[in-house]
Amino acid sequence: MPLSLVRQVLLLLGLAFLPAIGQAVYYRGATSWQHPPVDSAPVSVAQAKDWGDAALWIDARAEEQFAGGHVPGAMLLNEDDWNTLLPKVLAVWSPGRKLVVYCSRQTCNASHEVAERLRNEAGLKNVFVLQGGWEEWQKNNP
Amino acid sequence: MAEKQPVTNDRDQVHRFNWRLVRRALAILAGAVFVYAGILKVRDPVQFASAINNYQMIPWSVGVRFAFYLPWLEILCGLALIFHRLMAGALAITIGLMLVFVGATLWAKAHGIDVACGCFGSASSNLTLTWHLVLDGCILAALVFLWFTHERPAPAG
Repeated sequence: MPLSLVRQVLLLLGLAFLPAIGQAVYYRGATSWQHPPVDSAPVSVAQAKDWGDAALWIDARAEEQFAGGHVPGAMLLNEDDWNTLLPKVLAVWSPGRKLVVYCSRQTCNASHEVAERLRNEAGLKNVFVLQGGWEEWQKNNP
Repeated sequence: MAEKQPVTNDRDQVHRFNWRLVRRALAILAGAVFVYAGILKVRDPVQFASAINNYQMIPWSVGVRFAFYLPWLEILCGLALIFHRLMAGALAITIGLMLVFVGATLWAKAHGIDVACGCFGSASSNLTLTWHLVLDGCILAALVFLWFTHERPAPAG
Protein backbone atom coordinates (compact mmCIF):
# COMPACT_ATOMS: atom_id res chain seq x y z
CA MET A 1 0.00 0.00 0.00
CA PRO A 2 1.54 3.34 -0.99
CA LEU A 3 2.38 5.86 1.73
CA SER A 4 0.34 9.05 1.89
CA LEU A 5 1.80 12.25 0.53
CA VAL A 6 2.49 13.69 3.98
CA ARG A 7 4.24 10.51 5.12
CA GLN A 8 6.36 10.41 1.97
CA VAL A 9 7.42 14.04 2.47
CA LEU A 10 8.25 13.46 6.15
CA LEU A 11 10.17 10.28 5.31
CA LEU A 12 12.32 12.03 2.68
CA LEU A 13 12.90 15.08 4.90
CA GLY A 14 13.92 12.81 7.76
CA LEU A 15 16.17 10.52 5.72
CA ALA A 16 18.12 13.50 4.37
CA PHE A 17 19.08 14.43 7.93
CA LEU A 18 21.15 11.28 8.41
CA PRO A 19 23.95 11.92 5.87
CA ALA A 20 23.71 15.69 6.54
CA ILE A 21 24.42 15.19 10.25
CA GLY A 22 27.26 12.81 9.42
CA GLN A 23 28.84 15.32 7.07
CA ALA A 24 28.35 18.18 9.54
CA VAL A 25 30.15 16.16 12.21
CA TYR A 26 32.97 15.48 9.74
CA TYR A 27 33.24 19.22 8.94
CA ARG A 28 32.66 20.48 12.52
CA GLY A 29 36.19 21.82 12.92
CA ALA A 30 36.65 22.94 9.33
CA THR A 31 33.91 25.53 9.07
CA SER A 32 32.59 28.43 11.07
CA TRP A 33 29.03 27.82 12.28
CA GLN A 34 28.35 31.32 13.58
CA HIS A 35 30.17 33.72 11.25
CA PRO A 36 31.05 33.58 7.53
CA PRO A 37 34.72 32.99 6.70
CA VAL A 38 36.81 36.08 6.05
CA ASP A 39 36.74 36.82 2.33
CA SER A 40 39.24 38.78 0.27
CA ALA A 41 38.52 42.48 0.34
CA PRO A 42 36.70 43.82 -2.71
CA VAL A 43 38.25 46.64 -4.70
CA SER A 44 36.78 48.88 -7.40
CA VAL A 45 38.36 49.34 -10.84
CA ALA A 46 39.16 52.99 -10.11
CA GLN A 47 40.82 52.21 -6.79
CA ALA A 48 42.87 49.34 -8.21
CA LYS A 49 44.02 51.51 -11.13
CA ASP A 50 45.16 54.17 -8.66
CA TRP A 51 47.56 51.64 -7.15
CA GLY A 52 49.49 51.62 -10.45
CA ASP A 53 52.54 49.35 -10.41
CA ALA A 54 51.90 48.46 -6.77
CA ALA A 55 49.10 46.20 -8.03
CA LEU A 56 49.69 42.86 -9.70
CA TRP A 57 46.64 41.91 -11.74
CA ILE A 58 45.61 38.24 -11.71
CA ASP A 59 43.21 36.89 -14.35
CA ALA A 60 41.32 33.92 -12.89
CA ARG A 61 39.41 33.08 -16.09
CA ALA A 62 40.05 30.27 -18.56
CA GLU A 63 43.08 30.54 -20.85
CA GLU A 64 40.90 31.12 -23.95
CA GLN A 65 39.14 34.05 -22.28
CA PHE A 66 42.48 35.46 -21.18
CA ALA A 67 43.77 35.19 -24.75
CA GLY A 68 40.67 37.04 -25.96
CA GLY A 69 41.56 40.11 -23.88
CA HIS A 70 42.73 40.96 -20.39
CA VAL A 71 43.83 43.83 -18.16
CA PRO A 72 47.21 45.12 -19.41
CA GLY A 73 50.01 43.42 -17.50
CA ALA A 74 47.69 40.84 -15.94
CA MET A 75 48.95 37.32 -15.31
CA LEU A 76 46.88 34.22 -15.93
CA LEU A 77 46.20 32.14 -12.81
CA ASN A 78 43.24 29.79 -12.82
CA GLU A 79 42.46 26.62 -10.91
CA ASP A 80 42.75 24.43 -14.04
CA ASP A 81 46.52 25.05 -14.34
CA TRP A 82 47.19 26.15 -10.78
CA ASN A 83 50.42 24.22 -10.27
CA THR A 84 51.92 25.46 -13.56
CA LEU A 85 50.80 29.07 -13.32
CA LEU A 86 51.37 29.83 -9.62
CA PRO A 87 55.21 29.73 -9.82
CA LYS A 88 55.10 32.27 -12.67
CA VAL A 89 53.00 34.63 -10.53
CA LEU A 90 55.24 34.17 -7.51
CA ALA A 91 58.28 34.94 -9.66
CA VAL A 92 56.85 38.36 -10.53
CA TRP A 93 55.27 39.16 -7.16
CA SER A 94 57.25 41.02 -4.53
CA PRO A 95 56.41 41.67 -0.85
CA GLY A 96 54.16 44.66 -0.37
CA ARG A 97 52.68 44.35 -3.83
CA LYS A 98 48.89 44.06 -3.90
CA LEU A 99 47.22 41.25 -5.84
CA VAL A 100 43.99 42.16 -7.67
CA VAL A 101 42.15 39.05 -8.83
CA TYR A 102 39.33 39.21 -11.35
CA CYS A 103 37.08 36.89 -13.34
CA SER A 104 34.38 37.50 -15.95
CA ARG A 105 31.79 39.47 -14.05
CA GLN A 106 30.40 40.30 -10.63
CA THR A 107 28.55 37.00 -10.27
CA CYS A 108 31.45 34.67 -11.08
CA ASN A 109 33.23 32.86 -8.25
CA ALA A 110 36.60 32.08 -9.86
CA SER A 111 38.21 35.27 -8.54
CA HIS A 112 37.10 34.48 -4.98
CA GLU A 113 38.37 30.92 -5.23
CA VAL A 114 41.75 31.95 -6.66
CA ALA A 115 42.07 34.74 -4.08
CA GLU A 116 41.30 32.30 -1.28
CA ARG A 117 43.93 29.85 -2.53
CA LEU A 118 46.50 32.64 -2.86
CA ARG A 119 45.92 33.53 0.79
CA ASN A 120 45.65 30.00 2.18
CA GLU A 121 48.02 27.97 0.01
CA ALA A 122 50.56 30.54 -1.16
CA GLY A 123 50.37 32.46 2.14
CA LEU A 124 50.06 35.86 0.42
CA LYS A 125 48.53 38.92 2.07
CA ASN A 126 46.95 41.94 0.38
CA VAL A 127 44.81 39.87 -1.97
CA PHE A 128 41.83 41.77 -3.40
CA VAL A 129 38.93 40.78 -5.63
CA LEU A 130 37.98 43.20 -8.41
CA GLN A 131 34.32 44.26 -8.16
CA GLY A 132 32.50 43.59 -11.43
CA GLY A 133 35.45 41.67 -12.88
CA TRP A 134 36.55 41.92 -16.51
CA GLU A 135 33.09 43.21 -17.51
CA GLU A 136 33.47 46.22 -15.21
CA TRP A 137 37.03 46.84 -16.39
CA GLN A 138 35.83 47.01 -20.00
CA LYS A 139 33.08 49.48 -19.07
CA ASN A 140 35.67 51.74 -17.46
CA ASN A 141 38.23 51.30 -20.24
CA PRO A 142 36.31 51.32 -23.53
CA MET B 1 -19.04 -1.43 -36.03
CA ALA B 2 -17.63 -4.43 -34.17
CA GLU B 3 -14.55 -4.51 -36.46
CA LYS B 4 -13.53 -0.92 -35.61
CA GLN B 5 -13.39 -1.42 -31.83
CA PRO B 6 -9.94 -3.15 -31.58
CA VAL B 7 -8.28 -0.44 -33.72
CA THR B 8 -9.44 2.29 -31.32
CA ASN B 9 -8.19 0.31 -28.32
CA ASP B 10 -4.78 -0.20 -29.92
CA ARG B 11 -4.48 3.52 -30.54
CA ASP B 12 -5.43 4.25 -26.95
CA GLN B 13 -2.85 1.78 -25.70
CA VAL B 14 -0.12 3.31 -27.85
CA HIS B 15 -1.20 6.79 -26.71
CA ARG B 16 -1.12 5.77 -23.02
CA PHE B 17 2.22 3.97 -23.48
CA ASN B 18 3.85 7.01 -25.04
CA TRP B 19 2.68 9.30 -22.24
CA ARG B 20 3.97 6.86 -19.66
CA LEU B 21 7.31 6.83 -21.47
CA VAL B 22 7.42 10.63 -21.54
CA ARG B 23 6.63 10.79 -17.83
CA ARG B 24 9.34 8.25 -16.99
CA ALA B 25 11.90 10.05 -19.16
CA LEU B 26 11.05 13.41 -17.58
CA ALA B 27 11.23 11.95 -14.07
CA ILE B 28 14.64 10.39 -14.76
CA LEU B 29 15.92 13.61 -16.34
CA ALA B 30 14.66 15.84 -13.51
CA GLY B 31 15.94 13.34 -10.94
CA ALA B 32 19.37 13.26 -12.57
CA VAL B 33 19.55 17.06 -12.47
CA PHE B 34 18.81 17.07 -8.74
CA VAL B 35 21.31 14.27 -8.04
CA TYR B 36 23.99 16.09 -10.08
CA ALA B 37 23.28 19.43 -8.38
CA GLY B 38 23.26 17.77 -4.97
CA ILE B 39 26.56 15.92 -5.49
CA LEU B 40 28.31 19.11 -6.65
CA LYS B 41 27.14 20.90 -3.50
CA VAL B 42 27.86 18.00 -1.15
CA ARG B 43 31.49 18.10 -2.30
CA ASP B 44 31.86 21.67 -1.02
CA PRO B 45 29.15 22.59 1.52
CA VAL B 46 31.07 25.66 2.72
CA GLN B 47 31.04 27.14 -0.77
CA PHE B 48 27.31 26.45 -0.99
CA ALA B 49 26.91 28.17 2.38
CA SER B 50 28.70 31.20 0.90
CA ALA B 51 26.35 31.12 -2.09
CA ILE B 52 23.34 31.09 0.27
CA ASN B 53 24.93 33.87 2.31
CA ASN B 54 25.27 36.01 -0.84
CA TYR B 55 21.46 36.21 -1.04
CA GLN B 56 21.46 38.08 2.30
CA MET B 57 18.11 36.54 3.25
CA ILE B 58 19.06 34.46 6.26
CA PRO B 59 21.93 34.68 8.78
CA TRP B 60 25.08 32.64 8.16
CA SER B 61 24.40 30.40 11.19
CA VAL B 62 21.14 29.25 9.55
CA GLY B 63 22.44 29.22 5.96
CA VAL B 64 25.43 27.03 6.76
CA ARG B 65 23.11 24.41 8.30
CA PHE B 66 20.90 24.51 5.22
CA ALA B 67 24.06 24.09 3.13
CA PHE B 68 24.76 20.77 4.81
CA TYR B 69 21.16 19.56 4.63
CA LEU B 70 19.70 20.70 1.27
CA PRO B 71 22.19 18.90 -1.03
CA TRP B 72 21.37 15.55 0.61
CA LEU B 73 17.67 16.29 0.31
CA GLU B 74 18.19 17.05 -3.39
CA ILE B 75 20.09 13.79 -3.93
CA LEU B 76 17.49 11.76 -2.08
CA CYS B 77 14.57 13.33 -3.97
CA GLY B 78 16.46 12.96 -7.25
CA LEU B 79 16.98 9.24 -6.61
CA ALA B 80 13.30 8.90 -5.68
CA LEU B 81 12.33 10.45 -9.03
CA ILE B 82 14.78 8.26 -10.98
CA PHE B 83 13.73 4.99 -9.33
CA HIS B 84 10.05 5.94 -9.13
CA ARG B 85 9.83 5.53 -5.35
CA LEU B 86 8.03 7.96 -3.00
CA MET B 87 7.18 9.93 -6.15
CA ALA B 88 4.51 12.18 -4.66
CA GLY B 89 6.73 13.17 -1.74
CA ALA B 90 9.75 13.74 -3.95
CA LEU B 91 7.70 15.85 -6.38
CA ALA B 92 6.18 17.93 -3.57
CA ILE B 93 9.61 18.63 -2.07
CA THR B 94 11.38 19.35 -5.36
CA ILE B 95 8.60 21.68 -6.53
CA GLY B 96 8.83 23.46 -3.18
CA LEU B 97 12.62 23.72 -3.48
CA MET B 98 12.39 25.09 -7.02
CA LEU B 99 9.82 27.72 -5.96
CA VAL B 100 12.12 28.77 -3.11
CA PHE B 101 15.16 28.92 -5.46
CA VAL B 102 13.33 30.99 -8.09
CA GLY B 103 11.74 33.22 -5.42
CA ALA B 104 15.09 33.84 -3.73
CA THR B 105 16.73 34.72 -7.05
CA LEU B 106 14.00 37.18 -7.99
CA TRP B 107 14.05 38.65 -4.46
CA ALA B 108 17.82 39.16 -4.67
CA LYS B 109 17.50 40.76 -8.09
CA ALA B 110 14.70 43.06 -6.89
CA HIS B 111 16.91 44.18 -3.99
CA GLY B 112 19.86 44.87 -6.28
CA ILE B 113 21.90 41.94 -4.98
CA ASP B 114 24.00 40.43 -7.75
CA VAL B 115 24.41 36.75 -6.90
CA ALA B 116 25.95 33.63 -8.35
CA CYS B 117 23.06 31.17 -8.12
CA GLY B 118 25.04 28.33 -6.56
CA CYS B 119 22.56 25.83 -8.02
CA PHE B 120 25.30 23.60 -9.40
CA GLY B 121 28.11 24.50 -7.01
CA SER B 122 31.12 26.10 -8.68
CA ALA B 123 29.92 24.73 -12.05
CA SER B 124 27.25 27.45 -12.10
CA SER B 125 29.61 30.32 -11.29
CA ASN B 126 29.28 31.81 -14.76
CA LEU B 127 25.54 31.21 -15.17
CA THR B 128 23.75 34.48 -15.92
CA LEU B 129 20.49 35.37 -14.21
CA THR B 130 18.52 34.78 -17.41
CA TRP B 131 19.95 31.30 -17.96
CA HIS B 132 19.51 30.55 -14.28
CA LEU B 133 15.80 31.40 -14.52
CA VAL B 134 15.35 29.56 -17.84
CA LEU B 135 16.92 26.42 -16.38
CA ASP B 136 14.85 26.66 -13.20
CA GLY B 137 11.70 27.32 -15.24
CA CYS B 138 12.25 24.20 -17.39
CA ILE B 139 12.86 21.97 -14.35
CA LEU B 140 9.85 23.44 -12.55
CA ALA B 141 7.62 22.91 -15.62
CA ALA B 142 8.70 19.26 -15.86
CA LEU B 143 8.05 18.72 -12.14
CA VAL B 144 4.62 20.37 -12.27
CA PHE B 145 3.72 18.24 -15.30
CA LEU B 146 4.76 15.11 -13.40
CA TRP B 147 2.83 16.27 -10.34
CA PHE B 148 -0.43 16.52 -12.30
CA THR B 149 0.03 13.26 -14.22
CA HIS B 150 1.57 10.79 -11.77
CA GLU B 151 -0.47 8.18 -9.89
CA ARG B 152 -1.45 9.66 -6.52
CA PRO B 153 -0.92 7.77 -3.26
CA ALA B 154 -3.91 6.93 -1.09
CA PRO B 155 -4.77 9.59 1.51
CA ALA B 156 -3.60 9.05 5.09
CA GLY B 157 -5.72 7.03 7.49
